[in-house]
Amino acid sequence: MNKRLLTLVIVLILGGLVVGAKFFLSPKKVEINLQEARAKGNPDARVKIVEFIDFQCPACAYGIKYLKTVFDLHPNDIYLQVRYFPLTNMHHHAMVSALYSECAARQGKFWALDDLMIPQQSQWEQLISPEPVFQAMAAQVGMDIPQLNACLASDDARKVINDEKSLGQTLGISSTPTYFINKKMVVGTKSLQDELKTYFPN
Amino acid sequence: MYTILRIAIGCIFIFSGLGKVLGPYQNFLYVIQAYQVLPSWAEVLTSQVFPWIELLVGVFVTLGLWTPWALRGALILFGVFVLVVGQALLRGLPLESCGCFGELIHLKPQTVIMMDSLCLLLTFVLLRDLPSTKKLGLDLYFDKL
Repeated sequence: MNKRLLTLVIVLILGGLVVGAKFFLSPKKVEINLQEARAKGNPDARVKIVEFIDFQCPACAYGIKYLKTVFDLHPNDIYLQVRYFPLTNMHHHAMVSALYSECAARQGKFWALDDLMIPQQSQWEQLISPEPVFQAMAAQVGMDIPQLNACLASDDARKVINDEKSLGQTLGISSTPTYFINKKMVVGTKSLQDELKTYFPN
Repeated sequence: MYTILRIAIGCIFIFSGLGKVLGPYQNFLYVIQAYQVLPSWAEVLTSQVFPWIELLVGVFVTLGLWTPWALRGALILFGVFVLVVGQALLRGLPLESCGCFGELIHLKPQTVIMMDSLCLLLTFVLLRDLPSTKKLGLDLYFDKL
């Protein structure tokens, strides 16, 4: 066989295999199931965002702050829902922070706790155990502490988090923050800003 | 020895390229953005094209087909990795992981720059002795024709 012909055959086979594998492994489209406890904004807004978050991820903290500014400017045009994607192999407190958030969501305090947890990320992420800080934050936002501790001890909250992470993995997520803006996958805060500028140029 | 080294270097690129090609390009785009070296339009283009280049170079190096050209490609890629990761370290950019192998493996930038420098050196050694490097490669079959 001619060397150039073999090269062409190899390239075509490789391309075919990869395209075939991508087709069979292609991520599903995300569906926005209403999770009222972890959603905010106008449910009929023209921009619907699903965010997969790791509360210990610095870029996620920046993304949340940026989204807050966009929310302030366009309060009726955005609907945001948060899903868990703790990167436990990189961030030691990713799971515990997600657990506190989920337990806060069950008491209707998700956003209140989030407003304390995210800005103080750089402080609690350096602690061996951030739980005393989270407990104090929970008390500060008026959570029922015995109920919180029962939630933390149960397997149910952890299962919700793990199930959402599995969902994220089937969607092709590997990093945080990953957003689905009107079902379009956007990874990182730079891409988030670029994408939102297409909806809100000013 | 040279053959094993050639195949190992080829497999690194196949592993690295395949991990990125099979996932959504947005994941690799995020990695590229973290290094802050390209304009936005070039970041998007690179995130879609670069993994295919890695994969092709890896396959050709592994098979030993067009070996001198494939190894020069590998040399350029390793050189680019060293430069890009090096400038990020010098600028103190907050990289948690190099992103080199997509979602498959997380390596610290400090680790990866040492690995890439070593691979750059080994690829150069392979290029210096092509007759040994071509052993058990497809080029040898075509050279005999």
